[in-house]
Amino acid sequence: MLNVKRVESGYGSMQVLWQPSIQVKKGSITSLLGPNGVGKSTLLNTIFGSIEPWGGEVYYEEENVTRVPTHKKVEMGIALVPEGKHLFSNMTVYENLSMGAYLKRALAHKEESLELVYTLFPRLKERTQQLAGSMSGGEQQMVTIARALMTRPRLIMLDEPSQGLAPKLVREVFETIQKMKEEIGLTILLIEQNAEASLEAADFVYVMHEGIIKAQGTPDQIKGSAEIREAFLGI
Amino acid sequence: MVVEQMAGNLIQGLVLGAVYGMATMGLSLIFGVLKVVNVGHGAFIMVGAFIALLLFNTLGINPVLAVPLAFLFGLGLGLLFYYSVMQRLIKAPELATLLATFSLGLLLQEVVKLLFGSEYRGYNWAVGKIDLGITVLPMSKLYACAGSALIAVLLYLWFNKTRAGSAMRSVVEDSEGARVCGVNVGAAYALSFSLGIGLTVASGVLLTMFIPVGINPYMGGHYTLKAFVIAVLGGLASPYGAFFGGLVFGLLENGSYTLFALIPGVEPFALTRFFSFLMLLIILLIRPTGLLSEKRT
Ligand SMILES: Nc1ncnc2c1ncn2[C@@H]1O[C@H](COP(=O)(O)OP(=O)(O)OP(=O)(O)O)[C@@H](O)[C@H]1O
Ligand SMILES: [Mg+2]
Repeated sequence: MLNVKRVESGYGSMQVLWQPSIQVKKGSITSLLGPNGVGKSTLLNTIFGSIEPWGGEVYYEEENVTRVPTHKKVEMGIALVPEGKHLFSNMTVYENLSMGAYLKRALAHKEESLELVYTLFPRLKERTQQLAGSMSGGEQQMVTIARALMTRPRLIMLDEPSQGLAPKLVREVFETIQKMKEEIGLTILLIEQNAEASLEAADFVYVMHEGIIKAQGTPDQIKGSAEIREAFLGI
Repeated sequence: MVVEQMAGNLIQGLVLGAVYGMATMGLSLIFGVLKVVNVGHGAFIMVGAFIALLLFNTLGINPVLAVPLAFLFGLGLGLLFYYSVMQRLIKAPELATLLATFSLGLLLQEVVKLLFGSEYRGYNWAVGKIDLGITVLPMSKLYACAGSALIAVLLYLWFNKTRAGSAMRSVVEDSEGARVCGVNVGAAYALSFSLGIGLTVASGVLLTMFIPVGINPYMGGHYTLKAFVIAVLGGLASPYGAFFGGLVFGLLENGSYTLFALIPGVEPFALTRFFSFLMLLIILLIRPTGLLSEKRT
Protein backbone atom coordinates (compact mmCIF):
# COMPACT_ATOMS: atom_id res chain seq x y z
CA MET A 1 0.00 0.00 0.00
CA LEU A 2 2.87 2.33 0.86
CA ASN A 3 6.23 1.99 -0.75
CA VAL A 4 8.98 4.36 0.28
CA LYS A 5 12.10 4.20 -1.86
CA ARG A 6 15.44 5.62 -0.77
CA VAL A 7 14.12 8.94 0.52
CA GLU A 8 16.40 11.73 1.60
CA SER A 9 15.57 14.82 3.60
CA GLY A 10 16.62 16.91 6.54
CA TYR A 11 16.54 20.39 8.05
CA GLY A 12 18.39 23.29 6.48
CA SER A 13 21.68 21.83 5.34
CA MET A 14 21.63 18.95 7.82
CA GLN A 15 20.69 15.68 6.17
CA VAL A 16 18.77 13.34 8.46
CA LEU A 17 17.45 10.61 6.15
CA TRP A 18 20.05 8.67 4.20
CA GLN A 19 17.87 6.75 1.76
CA PRO A 20 15.83 4.50 4.01
CA SER A 21 13.29 2.31 2.15
CA ILE A 22 10.23 0.79 3.75
CA GLN A 23 7.07 -0.95 2.61
CA VAL A 24 3.74 -1.13 4.36
CA LYS A 25 1.40 -3.95 3.35
CA LYS A 26 -2.31 -3.34 3.10
CA GLY A 27 -4.11 -4.22 6.31
CA SER A 28 -0.94 -4.63 8.34
CA ILE A 29 0.59 -2.92 11.32
CA THR A 30 4.12 -1.97 10.42
CA SER A 31 6.26 -0.66 13.18
CA LEU A 32 9.27 1.62 12.96
CA LEU A 33 11.62 1.28 15.92
CA GLY A 34 14.82 3.02 16.86
CA PRO A 35 16.44 5.20 19.51
CA ASN A 36 15.80 8.92 19.94
CA GLY A 37 16.85 11.30 17.23
CA VAL A 38 17.54 8.76 14.47
CA GLY A 39 15.01 10.30 12.08
CA LYS A 40 11.80 8.33 12.65
CA SER A 41 9.59 11.39 12.84
CA THR A 42 11.48 12.95 9.97
CA LEU A 43 10.68 9.88 7.86
CA LEU A 44 6.95 10.08 8.65
CA ASN A 45 6.85 13.80 8.00
CA THR A 46 8.69 13.32 4.73
CA ILE A 47 6.25 10.62 3.62
CA PHE A 48 3.34 12.87 4.54
CA GLY A 49 4.94 15.90 2.94
CA SER A 50 5.17 18.35 5.84
CA ILE A 51 8.91 18.08 5.14
CA GLU A 52 9.84 18.25 1.51
CA PRO A 53 11.80 15.24 0.28
CA TRP A 54 15.23 15.99 -1.17
CA GLY A 55 15.31 12.77 -3.11
CA GLY A 56 13.81 9.31 -3.43
CA GLU A 57 10.20 8.34 -4.05
CA VAL A 58 7.02 7.66 -2.16
CA TYR A 59 4.35 5.43 -3.73
CA TYR A 60 0.84 5.14 -2.30
CA GLU A 61 -1.30 2.47 -3.90
CA GLU A 62 1.03 2.31 -6.90
CA GLU A 63 0.84 6.08 -7.39
CA ASN A 64 3.87 8.31 -7.11
CA VAL A 65 2.94 10.82 -4.40
CA THR A 66 6.43 12.06 -3.58
CA ARG A 67 5.59 15.71 -4.25
CA VAL A 68 1.84 15.65 -3.73
CA PRO A 69 0.93 18.44 -1.25
CA THR A 70 -0.26 17.38 2.21
CA HIS A 71 -3.90 18.44 1.78
CA LYS A 72 -4.15 16.27 -1.33
CA LYS A 73 -2.59 13.34 0.51
CA VAL A 74 -5.22 13.64 3.21
CA GLU A 75 -7.88 13.62 0.51
CA MET A 76 -6.28 10.44 -0.90
CA GLY A 77 -6.65 8.70 2.44
CA ILE A 78 -3.31 9.20 4.16
CA ALA A 79 -3.50 10.41 7.75
CA LEU A 80 -0.74 11.45 10.12
CA VAL A 81 -0.99 11.63 13.89
CA PRO A 82 2.03 13.84 14.50
CA GLU A 83 4.41 13.64 17.41
CA GLY A 84 3.27 15.90 20.24
CA LYS A 85 -0.44 16.50 20.22
CA HIS A 86 -1.04 19.42 17.90
CA LEU A 87 -4.63 19.68 19.08
CA PHE A 88 -6.68 22.84 18.82
CA SER A 89 -6.66 23.54 22.55
CA ASN A 90 -9.14 26.42 22.52
CA MET A 91 -11.68 24.47 20.52
CA THR A 92 -14.04 21.93 21.97
CA VAL A 93 -13.60 18.21 21.40
CA TYR A 94 -16.43 18.34 18.90
CA GLU A 95 -14.84 21.22 17.00
CA ASN A 96 -11.55 19.34 16.91
CA LEU A 97 -13.28 16.29 15.45
CA SER A 98 -15.13 18.49 12.97
CA MET A 99 -11.83 19.89 11.76
CA GLY A 100 -10.82 16.32 10.99
CA ALA A 101 -13.79 16.22 8.62
CA TYR A 102 -12.63 19.40 6.92
CA LEU A 103 -12.11 18.02 3.42
CA LYS A 104 -15.01 17.19 1.10
CA ARG A 105 -14.75 13.42 1.15
CA ALA A 106 -14.53 13.38 4.94
CA LEU A 107 -17.32 15.93 5.34
CA ALA A 108 -19.67 13.75 3.31
CA HIS A 109 -19.21 10.95 5.87
CA LYS A 110 -18.99 13.08 8.99
CA GLU A 111 -21.87 11.48 10.91
CA GLU A 112 -20.65 7.94 10.25
CA SER A 113 -17.15 8.91 11.24
CA LEU A 114 -18.37 10.47 14.48
CA GLU A 115 -20.25 7.32 15.34
CA LEU A 116 -17.19 5.21 14.65
CA VAL A 117 -14.94 7.46 16.68
CA TYR A 118 -17.36 7.49 19.62
CA THR A 119 -17.54 3.69 19.62
CA LEU A 120 -13.79 3.53 19.65
CA PHE A 121 -13.45 6.24 22.33
CA PRO A 122 -16.69 6.31 24.36
CA ARG A 123 -15.14 8.84 26.71
CA LEU A 124 -15.06 11.46 23.96
CA LYS A 125 -18.80 11.22 23.48
CA GLU A 126 -19.35 12.42 27.05
CA ARG A 127 -16.92 15.27 26.55
CA THR A 128 -17.91 16.78 23.22
CA GLN A 129 -18.29 20.28 24.66
CA GLN A 130 -15.11 20.30 26.73
CA LEU A 131 -12.18 22.40 25.54
CA ALA A 132 -9.54 20.04 24.20
CA GLY A 133 -6.79 21.91 26.04
CA SER A 134 -8.40 21.17 29.40
CA MET A 135 -8.41 17.40 28.98
CA SER A 136 -5.96 14.95 30.49
CA GLY A 137 -2.94 13.79 28.52
CA GLY A 138 -4.52 10.45 27.68
CA GLU A 139 -7.80 12.02 26.59
CA GLN A 140 -5.93 14.50 24.43
CA GLN A 141 -4.15 11.64 22.73
CA MET A 142 -7.54 10.06 22.03
CA VAL A 143 -8.75 13.29 20.46
CA THR A 144 -5.68 13.44 18.23
CA ILE A 145 -6.19 9.89 17.01
CA ALA A 146 -9.93 10.42 16.67
CA ARG A 147 -9.40 13.61 14.69
CA ALA A 148 -7.12 11.73 12.30
CA LEU A 149 -9.78 9.01 11.88
CA MET A 150 -12.33 11.71 11.00
CA THR A 151 -10.33 12.35 7.81
CA ARG A 152 -11.43 8.83 6.75
CA PRO A 153 -7.97 7.46 6.04
CA ARG A 154 -7.00 4.13 4.61
CA LEU A 155 -3.42 4.50 5.81
CA ILE A 156 -2.77 6.02 9.20
CA MET A 157 0.70 6.91 10.40
CA LEU A 158 1.05 7.31 14.16
CA ASP A 159 4.08 9.04 15.66
CA GLU A 160 4.55 7.83 19.25
CA PRO A 161 0.88 7.81 20.22
CA SER A 162 1.64 6.49 23.70
CA GLN A 163 4.28 9.06 24.52
CA GLY A 164 4.09 10.24 28.10
CA LEU A 165 1.15 8.02 29.03
CA ALA A 166 0.77 5.83 32.11
CA PRO A 167 1.22 2.06 31.47
CA LYS A 168 -2.52 1.41 31.63
CA LEU A 169 -3.20 4.04 29.00
CA VAL A 170 -0.36 2.75 26.85
CA ARG A 171 -2.14 -0.58 26.79
CA GLU A 172 -5.38 1.14 25.80
CA VAL A 173 -3.66 2.91 22.93
CA PHE A 174 -2.30 -0.38 21.64
CA GLU A 175 -5.71 -2.00 21.94
CA THR A 176 -7.16 0.86 19.93
CA ILE A 177 -4.53 0.39 17.26
CA GLN A 178 -5.39 -3.31 17.03
CA LYS A 179 -9.06 -2.41 16.68
CA MET A 180 -8.30 0.09 13.95
CA LYS A 181 -6.65 -2.69 12.02
CA GLU A 182 -9.12 -5.47 12.73
CA GLU A 183 -12.45 -3.67 12.92
CA ILE A 184 -11.93 -0.75 10.55
CA GLY A 185 -9.48 -2.45 8.24
CA LEU A 186 -6.93 0.35 8.37
CA THR A 187 -3.33 0.02 7.37
CA ILE A 188 -1.06 1.30 10.09
CA LEU A 189 2.47 2.65 10.19
CA LEU A 190 3.51 3.06 13.79
CA ILE A 191 6.46 4.73 15.48
CA GLU A 192 6.95 3.68 19.06
CA GLN A 193 9.54 4.12 21.78
CA ASN A 194 7.95 1.23 23.61
CA ALA A 195 9.75 -1.55 21.71
CA GLU A 196 8.20 -4.48 23.56
CA ALA A 197 4.58 -3.46 23.12
CA SER A 198 5.34 -2.52 19.57
CA LEU A 199 6.84 -5.90 18.78
CA GLU A 200 3.70 -7.51 20.22
CA ALA A 201 1.37 -5.50 18.00
CA ALA A 202 3.26 -5.35 14.74
CA ASP A 203 3.12 -7.61 11.70
CA PHE A 204 6.38 -6.28 10.39
CA VAL A 205 9.17 -4.23 11.93
CA TYR A 206 11.82 -1.84 10.67
CA VAL A 207 14.68 -0.77 12.87
CA MET A 208 16.09 2.63 12.08
CA HIS A 209 19.43 4.04 13.04
CA GLU A 210 21.07 7.31 12.02
CA GLY A 211 18.78 7.87 9.10
CA ILE A 212 19.00 4.42 7.56
CA ILE A 213 17.13 1.14 8.01
CA LYS A 214 19.45 -1.15 9.96
CA ALA A 215 17.23 -4.19 10.21
CA GLN A 216 13.82 -5.44 9.19
CA GLY A 217 11.74 -8.52 9.71
CA THR A 218 8.80 -10.05 11.49
CA PRO A 219 8.60 -9.35 15.22
CA ASP A 220 9.83 -12.88 15.89
CA GLN A 221 12.87 -12.42 13.70
CA ILE A 222 13.71 -9.13 15.43
CA LYS A 223 13.14 -10.58 18.88
CA GLY A 224 15.23 -13.58 17.89
CA SER A 225 18.25 -11.50 17.06
CA ALA A 226 20.12 -10.66 20.23
CA GLU A 227 22.42 -8.49 18.16
CA ILE A 228 19.66 -6.19 16.91
CA ARG A 229 18.01 -6.04 20.29
CA GLU A 230 21.13 -5.01 22.10
CA ALA A 231 22.51 -2.67 19.48
CA PHE A 232 19.38 -0.71 18.63
CA LEU A 233 16.52 -1.47 20.94
CA GLY A 234 18.07 -1.87 24.34
CA ILE A 235 15.83 -4.80 25.29
CA MET B 1 -18.59 71.07 33.37
CA VAL B 2 -15.63 68.71 33.59
CA VAL B 3 -17.98 65.77 33.79
CA GLU B 4 -19.79 66.91 30.67
CA GLN B 5 -16.53 67.48 28.90
CA MET B 6 -15.37 64.03 29.96
CA ALA B 7 -18.58 62.39 28.76
CA GLY B 8 -18.33 64.21 25.44
CA ASN B 9 -14.74 63.17 24.97
CA LEU B 10 -15.51 59.59 25.87
CA ILE B 11 -18.18 59.45 23.17
CA GLN B 12 -15.65 60.80 20.70
CA GLY B 13 -13.21 58.23 22.04
CA LEU B 14 -15.62 55.38 21.49
CA VAL B 15 -16.28 56.45 17.90
CA LEU B 16 -12.57 56.81 17.17
CA GLY B 17 -11.85 53.63 19.13
CA ALA B 18 -14.02 51.53 16.85
CA VAL B 19 -11.98 52.73 13.90
CA TYR B 20 -8.73 52.14 15.80
CA GLY B 21 -9.93 48.63 16.48
CA MET B 22 -10.76 47.99 12.86
CA ALA B 23 -7.34 49.42 11.94
CA THR B 24 -5.69 46.79 14.15
CA MET B 25 -7.60 43.70 13.04
CA GLY B 26 -5.30 43.17 10.07
CA LEU B 27 -2.24 43.27 12.30
CA SER B 28 -3.74 40.68 14.66
CA LEU B 29 -4.93 38.46 11.84
CA ILE B 30 -1.48 38.33 10.28
CA PHE B 31 0.16 37.75 13.62
CA GLY B 32 -2.35 35.07 14.59
CA VAL B 33 -2.02 33.01 11.45
CA LEU B 34 1.55 33.61 10.32
CA LYS B 35 3.14 34.57 13.66
CA VAL B 36 4.61 37.52 11.79
CA VAL B 37 4.60 41.01 13.31
CA ASN B 38 3.91 43.50 10.55
CA VAL B 39 6.19 46.34 11.61
CA GLY B 40 5.22 48.21 8.46
CA HIS B 41 1.54 48.19 9.49
CA GLY B 42 1.13 51.97 9.55
CA ALA B 43 2.39 52.34 5.99
CA PHE B 44 -0.54 50.24 4.75
CA ILE B 45 -2.91 52.52 6.65
CA MET B 46 -1.22 55.44 4.91
CA VAL B 47 -1.81 53.80 1.52
CA GLY B 48 -5.51 53.55 2.37
CA ALA B 49 -5.61 57.20 3.37
CA PHE B 50 -4.07 58.17 0.03
CA ILE B 51 -6.56 56.01 -1.84
CA ALA B 52 -9.40 57.84 -0.08
CA LEU B 53 -7.82 61.22 -0.79
CA LEU B 54 -7.11 60.57 -4.46
CA LEU B 55 -10.47 58.98 -5.20
CA PHE B 56 -12.26 61.86 -3.54
CA ASN B 57 -10.22 64.69 -5.03
CA THR B 58 -9.78 63.40 -8.56
CA LEU B 59 -12.85 61.30 -9.24
CA GLY B 60 -15.22 62.59 -6.62
CA ILE B 61 -15.73 59.07 -5.27
CA ASN B 62 -16.92 59.25 -1.69
CA PRO B 63 -15.21 57.35 1.11
CA VAL B 64 -18.03 54.84 1.52
CA LEU B 65 -17.16 53.48 -1.92
CA ALA B 66 -13.46 53.97 -1.32
CA VAL B 67 -13.51 51.43 1.53
CA PRO B 68 -14.23 48.35 -0.63
CA LEU B 69 -11.93 49.65 -3.38
CA ALA B 70 -9.12 50.13 -0.88
CA PHE B 71 -9.83 46.67 0.52
CA LEU B 72 -9.47 45.11 -2.94
CA PHE B 73 -6.31 47.09 -3.60
CA GLY B 74 -4.94 45.88 -0.25
CA LEU B 75 -5.83 42.27 -1.06
CA GLY B 76 -3.82 42.55 -4.26
CA LEU B 77 -0.92 44.27 -2.55
CA GLY B 78 -0.96 41.61 0.16
CA LEU B 79 -0.87 38.78 -2.36
CA LEU B 80 1.95 40.47 -4.23
CA PHE B 81 4.04 40.97 -1.08
CA TYR B 82 3.20 37.52 0.23
CA TYR B 83 4.34 35.62 -2.84
CA SER B 84 7.28 37.89 -3.64
CA VAL B 85 8.67 38.32 -0.13
CA MET B 86 6.90 36.77 2.84
CA GLN B 87 6.44 33.23 1.60
CA ARG B 88 10.12 32.39 1.68
CA LEU B 89 10.55 33.97 5.11
CA ILE B 90 7.84 32.04 6.96
CA LYS B 91 10.30 29.51 8.29
CA ALA B 92 13.14 32.00 8.70
CA PRO B 93 14.06 33.50 12.10
CA GLU B 94 11.78 36.26 13.38
CA LEU B 95 14.33 38.95 12.66
CA ALA B 96 14.02 38.25 8.94
CA THR B 97 10.25 38.84 8.89
CA LEU B 98 10.60 41.94 11.07
CA LEU B 99 13.17 43.42 8.70
CA ALA B 100 11.09 42.42 5.70
CA THR B 101 7.87 44.03 6.89
CA PHE B 102 9.82 47.07 8.07
CA SER B 103 11.37 47.44 4.61
CA LEU B 104 8.04 46.95 2.86
CA GLY B 105 6.68 49.79 4.97
CA LEU B 106 9.60 52.05 4.04
CA LEU B 107 9.24 51.09 0.41
CA LEU B 108 5.57 52.08 0.40
CA GLN B 109 6.33 55.39 2.09
CA GLU B 110 8.99 56.29 -0.44
CA VAL B 111 6.91 55.24 -3.43
CA VAL B 112 3.97 57.32 -2.22
CA LYS B 113 6.28 60.26 -1.54
CA LEU B 114 7.79 60.01 -5.04
CA LEU B 115 4.37 59.93 -6.62
CA PHE B 116 2.52 62.48 -4.53
CA GLY B 117 5.06 64.51 -2.55
CA SER B 118 5.41 64.80 1.18
CA GLU B 119 3.24 67.77 2.16
CA TYR B 120 0.29 67.30 4.48
CA ARG B 121 -2.99 66.98 2.67
CA GLY B 122 -6.60 66.27 3.36
CA TYR B 123 -10.09 66.38 2.00
CA ASN B 124 -13.44 67.33 3.38
CA TRP B 125 -16.38 65.00 3.04
CA ALA B 126 -19.17 67.26 4.25
CA VAL B 127 -22.16 65.14 5.19
CA GLY B 128 -23.36 67.14 8.14
CA LYS B 129 -23.07 66.60 11.86
CA ILE B 130 -25.24 65.82 14.84
CA ASP B 131 -25.28 67.74 18.08
CA LEU B 132 -25.52 65.52 21.12
CA GLY B 133 -25.57 68.45 23.54
CA ILE B 134 -22.35 67.51 25.25
CA THR B 135 -20.46 67.08 22.03
CA VAL B 136 -20.84 67.49 18.28
CA LEU B 137 -20.20 64.48 16.04
CA PRO B 138 -19.61 64.87 12.31
CA MET B 139 -21.65 62.30 10.40
CA SER B 140 -18.49 61.25 8.54
CA LYS B 141 -17.04 59.99 11.83
CA LEU B 142 -20.23 58.15 12.67
CA TYR B 143 -20.18 56.44 9.29
CA ALA B 144 -16.56 55.46 9.86
CA CYS B 145 -17.50 54.03 13.25
CA ALA B 146 -20.48 52.12 11.88
CA GLY B 147 -18.41 50.85 8.95
CA SER B 148 -15.74 49.61 11.33
CA ALA B 149 -18.25 47.78 13.49
CA LEU B 150 -19.85 46.24 10.41
CA ILE B 151 -16.50 45.02 9.11
CA ALA B 152 -15.64 43.58 12.52
CA VAL B 153 -18.94 41.68 12.60
CA LEU B 154 -18.45 40.38 9.06
CA LEU B 155 -14.95 39.20 9.90
CA TYR B 156 -16.25 37.52 13.04
CA LEU B 157 -18.94 35.70 11.08
CA TRP B 158 -16.50 34.70 8.38
CA PHE B 159 -14.07 33.36 10.97
CA ASN B 160 -16.63 31.44 12.99
CA LYS B 161 -19.32 30.40 10.56
CA THR B 162 -17.58 29.47 7.33
CA ARG B 163 -15.41 26.57 6.32
CA ALA B 164 -12.56 28.82 5.22
CA GLY B 165 -12.85 30.65 8.53
CA SER B 166 -12.61 27.46 10.54
CA ALA B 167 -9.54 26.47 8.55
CA MET B 168 -8.04 29.83 9.41
CA ARG B 169 -8.83 29.39 13.10
CA SER B 170 -7.26 25.96 13.10
CA VAL B 171 -4.07 27.38 11.62
CA VAL B 172 -4.06 30.07 14.34
CA GLU B 173 -4.35 27.35 16.98
CA ASP B 174 -1.85 24.87 15.57
CA SER B 175 -0.61 24.91 12.01
CA GLU B 176 0.69 21.33 12.18
CA GLY B 177 -2.68 20.16 13.48
CA ALA B 178 -4.40 22.04 10.66
CA ARG B 179 -2.10 20.45 8.11
CA VAL B 180 -2.95 16.91 9.16
CA CYS B 181 -6.65 17.75 8.92
CA GLY B 182 -6.09 18.51 5.25
CA VAL B 183 -5.98 22.29 5.49
CA ASN B 184 -3.81 23.84 2.79
CA VAL B 185 -1.67 25.76 5.24
CA GLY B 186 0.30 27.59 2.56
CA ALA B 187 -2.92 28.93 1.04
CA ALA B 188 -4.18 29.91 4.50
CA TYR B 189 -1.01 31.93 5.03
CA ALA B 190 -1.39 33.70 1.69
CA LEU B 191 -5.08 34.37 2.29
CA SER B 192 -4.68 35.71 5.80
CA PHE B 193 -1.75 37.89 4.86
CA SER B 194 -3.61 39.48 1.98
CA LEU B 195 -6.83 39.70 3.99
CA GLY B 196 -4.90 41.36 6.81
CA ILE B 197 -3.36 43.88 4.42
CA GLY B 198 -6.74 44.44 2.75
CA LEU B 199 -8.37 45.23 6.10
CA THR B 200 -5.52 47.54 7.04
CA VAL B 201 -5.62 49.49 3.78
CA ALA B 202 -9.41 49.78 4.10
CA SER B 203 -9.02 51.08 7.64
CA GLY B 204 -6.81 53.85 6.25
CA VAL B 205 -9.84 55.17 4.40
CA LEU B 206 -11.93 55.20 7.57
CA LEU B 207 -9.21 56.95 9.55
CA THR B 208 -9.15 59.89 7.14
CA MET B 209 -12.46 61.04 8.67
CA PHE B 210 -10.53 61.86 11.80
CA ILE B 211 -7.57 63.65 10.24
CA PRO B 212 -8.88 66.48 8.05
CA VAL B 213 -5.39 67.63 7.04
CA GLY B 214 -3.16 64.83 8.27
CA ILE B 215 -2.56 62.72 5.17
CA ASN B 216 1.13 62.38 4.46
CA PRO B 217 3.47 59.53 3.39
CA TYR B 218 4.94 59.36 6.89
CA MET B 219 1.69 59.42 8.85
CA GLY B 220 1.82 55.65 9.43
CA GLY B 221 4.43 55.33 12.18
CA HIS B 222 2.11 56.91 14.66
CA TYR B 223 -0.58 54.31 13.89
CA THR B 224 1.86 51.43 14.03
CA LEU B 225 2.56 52.30 17.64
CA LYS B 226 -1.12 52.63 18.53
CA ALA B 227 -1.93 49.38 16.74
CA PHE B 228 0.70 47.55 18.77
CA VAL B 229 -0.79 48.81 22.03
CA ILE B 230 -4.29 47.88 20.85
CA ALA B 231 -3.22 44.46 19.59
CA VAL B 232 -1.64 43.70 22.95
CA LEU B 233 -4.79 44.93 24.70
CA GLY B 234 -6.85 42.61 22.53
CA GLY B 235 -4.73 39.54 23.00
CA LEU B 236 -2.50 39.80 19.90
CA ALA B 237 -3.73 36.87 17.88
CA SER B 238 -7.43 37.65 17.84
CA PRO B 239 -8.81 40.10 15.26
CA TYR B 240 -12.03 40.82 17.14
CA GLY B 241 -10.10 40.99 20.40
CA ALA B 242 -8.26 43.77 18.58
CA PHE B 243 -11.55 45.45 17.79
CA PHE B 244 -12.49 45.61 21.46
CA GLY B 245 -8.93 46.62 22.29
CA GLY B 246 -9.46 49.56 19.96
CA LEU B 247 -12.63 50.63 21.79
CA VAL B 248 -10.81 50.48 25.12
CA PHE B 249 -7.88 52.38 23.70
CA GLY B 250 -10.07 55.10 22.20
CA LEU B 251 -11.79 55.60 25.56
CA LEU B 252 -8.53 55.67 27.48
CA GLU B 253 -6.86 58.03 25.02
CA ASN B 254 -9.68 60.54 25.06
CA GLY B 255 -10.34 60.14 28.75
CA SER B 256 -6.73 60.70 29.64
CA TYR B 257 -6.60 63.67 27.28
CA THR B 258 -9.42 65.31 29.21
CA LEU B 259 -7.67 64.67 32.50
CA PHE B 260 -4.26 65.83 31.29
CA ALA B 261 -5.84 69.02 30.01
CA LEU B 262 -6.86 69.85 33.59
CA ILE B 263 -3.24 70.00 34.71
CA PRO B 264 -2.06 73.56 34.23
CA GLY B 265 0.99 74.06 32.05
CA VAL B 266 0.99 70.68 30.28
CA GLU B 267 0.37 70.00 26.63
CA PRO B 268 -2.18 67.19 26.82
CA PHE B 269 -1.68 65.85 23.31
CA ALA B 270 1.99 65.03 23.89
CA LEU B 271 1.11 63.33 27.16
CA THR B 272 -1.46 61.00 25.58
CA ARG B 273 1.29 59.58 23.40
CA PHE B 274 3.42 58.97 26.47
CA PHE B 275 0.35 57.40 27.99
CA SER B 276 0.11 54.89 25.11
CA PHE B 277 3.64 53.70 25.74
CA LEU B 278 3.04 53.50 29.44
CA MET B 279 -0.07 51.37 28.88
CA LEU B 280 1.83 49.03 26.59
CA LEU B 281 4.51 48.58 29.23
CA ILE B 282 2.05 48.02 32.05
CA ILE B 283 0.01 45.49 30.10
CA LEU B 284 3.11 43.60 29.03
CA LEU B 285 4.20 43.45 32.64
CA ILE B 286 0.93 42.21 34.13
CA ARG B 287 -0.60 40.18 31.27
CA PRO B 288 1.96 39.39 28.57
CA THR B 289 -0.69 37.48 26.61
CA GLY B 290 -2.95 40.53 26.41
CA LEU B 291 -5.84 41.78 28.49
CA LEU B 292 -8.74 40.39 26.51
CA SER B 293 -6.87 37.28 25.47
CA GLU B 294 -9.04 34.18 25.14
CA LYS B 295 -6.14 31.84 25.87
CA ARG B 296 -7.13 29.73 28.82
CA THR B 297 -3.90 28.24 30.06
N1 LIG C 1 12.58 21.02 13.10
C1 LIG C 1 13.86 20.58 13.17
N2 LIG C 1 14.88 21.40 12.85
C2 LIG C 1 16.16 20.98 12.90
N3 LIG C 1 16.52 19.74 13.26
C3 LIG C 1 15.57 18.87 13.58
C4 LIG C 1 14.18 19.25 13.56
N4 LIG C 1 13.45 18.17 13.93
C5 LIG C 1 14.32 17.19 14.18
N5 LIG C 1 15.60 17.59 13.97
C6 LIG C 1 16.80 16.77 14.10
O1 LIG C 1 16.74 15.71 13.18
C7 LIG C 1 17.19 14.51 13.76
C8 LIG C 1 16.11 13.45 13.64
O2 LIG C 1 14.98 13.88 14.40
P1 LIG C 1 13.62 13.07 14.48
O3 LIG C 1 12.65 13.93 15.20
O4 LIG C 1 13.25 12.59 13.14
O5 LIG C 1 14.05 11.85 15.39
P2 LIG C 1 13.15 10.70 16.01
O6 LIG C 1 13.77 9.43 15.57
O7 LIG C 1 11.74 10.92 15.70
O8 LIG C 1 13.42 10.90 17.55
P3 LIG C 1 12.42 10.73 18.80
O9 LIG C 1 12.33 9.29 19.09
O10 LIG C 1 13.09 11.48 19.89
O11 LIG C 1 11.12 11.32 18.42
C9 LIG C 1 17.58 14.84 15.18
O12 LIG C 1 18.98 15.03 15.22
C10 LIG C 1 16.87 16.12 15.46
O13 LIG C 1 17.62 16.90 16.36
MG1 LIG D 1 10.12 11.46 16.80
